[in-house]
Amino acid sequence: MDNITKKVREEIERGWIGPNTDCEYHPCHFADQDCTFCYCPFYPCLDEDFGRTIASKRGKDIWDCSPCLFIHRQEVGKFVMDEIKRMGLTDPKDPRMKNIFKEVKAKYYKKGKALMIFGATSDAGKSVTVMAICRILRNRGFLVAPFKSQNMSLNSKVTRKGTEIAMAQAIQSKAAGLKNSDHHMNPILLKPKGDAVSQVTVEGKLYGDQTTREYYDEFIPRQGKEIVERNIDFLKKRYDWVIMEGAGSPAEINIYDRDIANMGAAKIAEAPCILVVNLEWGGSFAYAVGTVRLIPEEDRKYIKGIILNNVRGDPSKVRTGAEELEKIIGIPVIGIIPHIGISLPSEDSEALRGIRTIGNGKMQISVIRLPRIANFTDLDPLLLEDVTLRFVTEPEDLEGSDAVIIPGTKTTINDLIWMRERGIENALRDLKGKIPIIGICGGYQMMGRSLEDPNGIEGRISDPVQGMGFFDNTTKWDKGSNKVSMNEGTLIRTGEGVTGYETHMGISEVKEEPLFSIKKITGNEIEGSFREEEMLFGTYLHGIFERTSFRRFFLSFVRGGSALDDTESKDYNEFLEENLDKLASGFEDNMDIDKLMEIMEKGI
Amino acid sequence: MKIIFLGTSSGAGKTTIVAMYCRYLRKKGIDVVPFKASNLSNNSFCTDSGKEIGVGQAIQAWASDKEPETDMNPILLKPLDGAVRVFLNGDMVANETGDTPADRRSLSEEAYKAFDRLCEKHQAVVCEGSGSPTELNIMDRDIANIGIMRKKNVPAVLVGDIERGGVFAAIYGTWLLMPEDIRPLLKGFMINRFRGDPSLLKPATDRISELTGMEYLGTMPYADIRFPEEDSTANDEKGFRDPMVKEAFLKDLDEFLEHAEKALDLEAVERISDSSA
Repeated sequence: MDNITKKVREEIERGWIGPNTDCEYHPCHFADQDCTFCYCPFYPCLDEDFGRTIASKRGKDIWDCSPCLFIHRQEVGKFVMDEIKRMGLTDPKDPRMKNIFKEVKAKYYKKGKALMIFGATSDAGKSVTVMAICRILRNRGFLVAPFKSQNMSLNSKVTRKGTEIAMAQAIQSKAAGLKNSDHHMNPILLKPKGDAVSQVTVEGKLYGDQTTREYYDEFIPRQGKEIVERNIDFLKKRYDWVIMEGAGSPAEINIYDRDIANMGAAKIAEAPCILVVNLEWGGSFAYAVGTVRLIPEEDRKYIKGIILNNVRGDPSKVRTGAEELEKIIGIPVIGIIPHIGISLPSEDSEALRGIRTIGNGKMQISVIRLPRIANFTDLDPLLLEDVTLRFVTEPEDLEGSDAVIIPGTKTTINDLIWMRERGIENALRDLKGKIPIIGICGGYQMMGRSLEDPNGIEGRISDPVQGMGFFDNTTKWDKGSNKVSMNEGTLIRTGEGVTGYETHMGISEVKEEPLFSIKKITGNEIEGSFREEEMLFGTYLHGIFERTSFRRFFLSFVRGGSALDDTESKDYNEFLEENLDKLASGFEDNMDIDKLMEIMEKGI
Repeated sequence: MKIIFLGTSSGAGKTTIVAMYCRYLRKKGIDVVPFKASNLSNNSFCTDSGKEIGVGQAIQAWASDKEPETDMNPILLKPLDGAVRVFLNGDMVANETGDTPADRRSLSEEAYKAFDRLCEKHQAVVCEGSGSPTELNIMDRDIANIGIMRKKNVPAVLVGDIERGGVFAAIYGTWLLMPEDIRPLLKGFMINRFRGDPSLLKPATDRISELTGMEYLGTMPYADIRFPEEDSTANDEKGFRDPMVKEAFLKDLDEFLEHAEKALDLEAVERISDSSA
């Protein structure tokens, strides 16, 4: 406490500074944040709208307001500093500070509102619509948070606090200009493991495996609603707008009464709803009309607008249909969005269905298309280089590869056996030493000597399974052996910085030359395996190709990869930002934003 | 005996379902042929007499133990570089651009004549619709869906694809948007590509029947049936001429039919096929 008081005194002395772009952490919360009070002058305000009391490690009550953004709003920082100066205060413990707090809260604090984006189908374009709206609102100076109550996805991301959410919400929070996503934005994450079983993550922490029936008959009725309520409430307290995304179609009438992802969530959040329909497959008018009319009449009034998405060719040809649609359902079409050619991480492996190759670069990199492939957004940054990604399901497909990636999977042992039975493992053995091979997460575990899951934590198999033996390590699955963390460190060989995140159940030791040195509070840890002679790489770190350091290092081993030295390298994050801007302007040009704002302001 | 299978979207699985139903009737000893009034595709099949028709009708002909012929797909539209090449009865008759639209009315008359010829010669004609029948912006010009139904009084079954979700909305919406004079011809609906236990869908299928009066005909489990066109490289003529290709396709189709016989009420589909008589 004394330390904070001292810091605040310094801040008062310094006066109002606005955004501090010189700070190496800027922006640590959101774009254009006010940095005048890096330490809050009102701490601890003990106001439940801004924080809560938690028990410290020693069991003492402490006030936690780490997710509070209020003091970083520019108008708030300015007002508070002006008042402090006007009243001539120097000490944050001065009782008059409480008056300033009351005043600034009354003047600037308002609980946020929500908007829900439904899709008539999966892949309607809900996620990108949320991304676009998040960015458009951020550009207008609002604080915005994305939200999806329940996301079924094998692509996830680890937050700075070490909690886990779906990749789509992480990207949406980036679109909103937020530095860090958090688990309130996706409180329920389901990772399908096959046979109607999913691994359930609740508020960022592993909850356990559930069958579809257990989930819908027990979990959802018992706690689904409360989870949605408290997380929506959390976000509304801190952001101006919560832009919610539905799941699948909101008109699945066989499960309508148990839904907490679509109308269920919209009602909790009192959110007006927009229905997005993808025009690509045809039948979209029928989908739109049917969706609206199948929703029970008392809920239908929540739907305030329609967006026709992904129009190829001349949008004006759709306009007559759109006008007809408005007449039939009495809901305005607020946007006719053309197909926007952008590249953003995809949500689930459906996106890979039927796809044999992506990109058209010279380096042919084969990716083993494991049945339960997970976190394959890892691959996206490679497409910034002269690379073609080929998805391999048969040993013959490996012919002509310049490198191989064994990606992550939700079920390592089952997928290893799948590779073995198909003859892919043997084909890789033949390629070992000839071209670089990298395993990421599950793929890395497969490359080890042995995989042991005596308690069937990952699957049903309990006898140890022989690994590919490319590395000497063993992976063990024990109760509580799951690891989730966001990491920063260096690539040992070059000393360059790397970032990546881990999320896995089995644990293995490093028995080779390590790839990375990871910074931890307790000191540096080694991570990954590297056999230079045989060009074998293994790591638990997802997202490891995002920064150019390791991406270029790995590709330098690939035939033709050395030529990259002469080309400019692009950071994946910059590339994402460009794509998000392009997406947002595509929506802004083709959507009636004033009408959208009117719908949002008016609410229900 | 005549029937048309309509999809709630493109890719709903109409082509396979029509092939399967042709196969089913054929195995019962019925003289059956497939028909699709108009096809929009760059993939074509070249008949023995050197005429072009859609690939879908060619493989549906195989399923019916028939040689593919032009009456099965009288109009073929091949989009190319912003223009559309129009084929009528297997021959190119026009290159349609924005400035020079083809005469759709006379085209449609020709298509209906082809349909009549098939009806005269065969016991059963199984039609495939095109895309969705209820595209509000082009419905008035439709030939392959509403056009043929209205003109030839063809009873219809809706096929909805559940894979992307929203299938009940798609079926109900399609029914709602059908012109009122044709709506009574919508007799039944089925759901395609479901992964899971179909009994979970019962409350929804019951509700759709109640709302529309259409009969629920069953739910097909997801099946990965591959068409020759998907296996051969772009319009590889040899691919279709190879007897192995036909054999492999029919083997897959027979397996699909076995699933269909369990999952769908095909007798009810037959009743619908007869219902216009």
